[in-house]
Amino acid sequence: MKRLLLVLIATAFSVSVLVPAAGAQVKLQWSRSWLWDQNPVRMVNTAKFKKKPPYVIGFSNASISNSWRVFMAREVQAEAEKHKDLIKKFYVTDAQDKPEKQIGDTEDLVAKGCDAIILSAATMAALDPIATRLYKRGIPVICVDRRVTSDNFVSFVTASNFTQGRMMMVWLCEMLKGKGNIVMLPGIAGAGPAEERIVGAKEVLSQYPDIKVLDMQYTSWSPSEGKRVMAALIQSYGNKIDGVWADSGLQGSGAVEALNDAGLKIPITGEDLNAYLLRVQKYGFPAMSIGFPVKMGAEAVRTTLKVLQGIQVPFIVNVTRTVTTTVDTEDVKADVPWSDMAHPKWPSDWWIDNTLPEKWLPK
Amino acid sequence: MQVESTFGKMNALTSVMGIKALFEKYGIYIFLIILFVFASVVSPAFLRPKNLQDVLNQAAALGIVSIGQTFVILTGGGGLDLSVASVMATVAVIIARNTGGLDALLLPVASLGLLFGVLIGLFNGLLITKRRVPPFMATLGMMIIVQGLRFIYTKGAPKGDFPPFVRFLGNGNIGPIPTSVISLGVFTIIAAVILRKTAFGRKVYTIGGNIHTARLSGYRTDLIITATYMISGLTAAIAGIYLAGWIGISDNWVGKGYELDSIAAVVMGGTSFEGGRGGVLGTIAGVLIIMMLYNVILLLHLPVQVQYVIKGAVIVLAASFYVRRSVR
Repeated sequence: MKRLLLVLIATAFSVSVLVPAAGAQVKLQWSRSWLWDQNPVRMVNTAKFKKKPPYVIGFSNASISNSWRVFMAREVQAEAEKHKDLIKKFYVTDAQDKPEKQIGDTEDLVAKGCDAIILSAATMAALDPIATRLYKRGIPVICVDRRVTSDNFVSFVTASNFTQGRMMMVWLCEMLKGKGNIVMLPGIAGAGPAEERIVGAKEVLSQYPDIKVLDMQYTSWSPSEGKRVMAALIQSYGNKIDGVWADSGLQGSGAVEALNDAGLKIPITGEDLNAYLLRVQKYGFPAMSIGFPVKMGAEAVRTTLKVLQGIQVPFIVNVTRTVTTTVDTEDVKADVPWSDMAHPKWPSDWWIDNTLPEKWLPK
Repeated sequence: MQVESTFGKMNALTSVMGIKALFEKYGIYIFLIILFVFASVVSPAFLRPKNLQDVLNQAAALGIVSIGQTFVILTGGGGLDLSVASVMATVAVIIARNTGGLDALLLPVASLGLLFGVLIGLFNGLLITKRRVPPFMATLGMMIIVQGLRFIYTKGAPKGDFPPFVRFLGNGNIGPIPTSVISLGVFTIIAAVILRKTAFGRKVYTIGGNIHTARLSGYRTDLIITATYMISGLTAAIAGIYLAGWIGISDNWVGKGYELDSIAAVVMGGTSFEGGRGGVLGTIAGVLIIMMLYNVILLLHLPVQVQYVIKGAVIVLAASFYVRRSVR
């Protein structure tokens, strides 16, 4: 009996110590928005969404059709699992890139009694009406990676594509000392992230009159398209190409291979896709990488929990991102050495800048 | 049935039409030569050895899938195989994952991959012949199933690397000629010999010409049609290995779009959907046209998207050309 009592006391004590510690995780945290927004950070008052835990939360995902989306979705689920104390039920849907399916998915999630919806919209326009409807009904919608057209959501967790396009282009122009010919390899024509990265890149280009864009070709964010397009561009322009602006590591990895086959070791940009990082390292290219981090999925869950607890959140949450280069320039410097980012033992399709615990890594 | 026998008569009619028929028969090759000359004239880069090497290298995987596709379409009755691209990608991830980049493990793992392709073909064939599922539906269903299996298998992020030998197949050279091109040549010859010189090949043409005649002649039509789907599965698996070797990255979407490109190449090459007419040489010409169009568009600094418009136009033109021929 005494022993039982002792155990009970010990348990009660450890619970009282651990619970606030777990709760502390979702208290106000620094997000990049607080540091980098040039304007006062636009905060959203979430008092009206405050609810008593445990919560039911739904994640309406556009798709898991490429490895970036797989990693991002896993970040969401892994983070939700960490907050079991606050989350009673966590539903995930996959719309397979079909907006009309995602509208149905989202309605289902609401019917299941979700207190909040995390939305990664298949397209900005098609998902706008449902997001607006939920917003008006008082169900908080938190967008991640892709938003909807209107401002009818509580918060958008993202990393700026404009910034990404600019950073890549600044590095490239500085590498070329402001003079030379480049080719641009964006993602998919009309896709939000691809077009925004181009806009950012062109803003920078306007400041470099002696950098000439020889050609710009979309590559569907595919390694094979990247290689095919780059090979043809090399034939077409030969040694005239002084640098390559690729907006992602996907086509970047293919382009590096084509350049290497042709013996052209010229500066190239990309993202934190292991295949790209490894090839650059293996062939010895001057290169830079800026992540569009998959960990924004985890940040979206943390933001959602804040909303449900009535804690203020920024309207736009910018996640931190890692820049790395093999050669630093005046304005773009590596946060970590390239060799720390490239992992020879990891699969080529992995995104390095993730916060996934071991068991959530896709194996 | 009546319609088919009418077509049979018309075939006989067209074959005696002389020069016109000759032109129609070799139209695809004439178009290929025109395109080649056009490309050489408008872009000096086109004729560079490295560029021709690139084009041929890229054509190899599509060519290999299209060979199998030709067999299937030759059997007629709306036969086609939409599951090829799914098989290509799945074989690629199987190899990357299970060899771990080691040549020593390649033979058993690659055999497994090829077996997988053949099995998918077998399922397609059985569904189509035994259950009378229209080929479009059967192979579409199989395409989605294989895709799903692949995603379950890789959890969306395929891992592993390709052994050096696979890279040699897809990206290496023997002398000045890409390995993949030599391989495509060998596969084409084998396929042409099977179609022209063996009893099996003749039966494929007979079934495509008129399945009822074939049945009456005592051919085991179900067996032969199923075999063509198995060939298509096998060539898709082989093409998957070559394309994976060319890219060198384990990707869930290796060969995306190849199902339609291969059908387009076959149709451009003069193999008609009614079956019984055409062959692999025309198909290879169709493959070269698709790849050259892509290359020329890039060399001319046109947006990549233009290729779809031109490719679509060429397919429609080719199809309408062949339909006119068979109606006359």
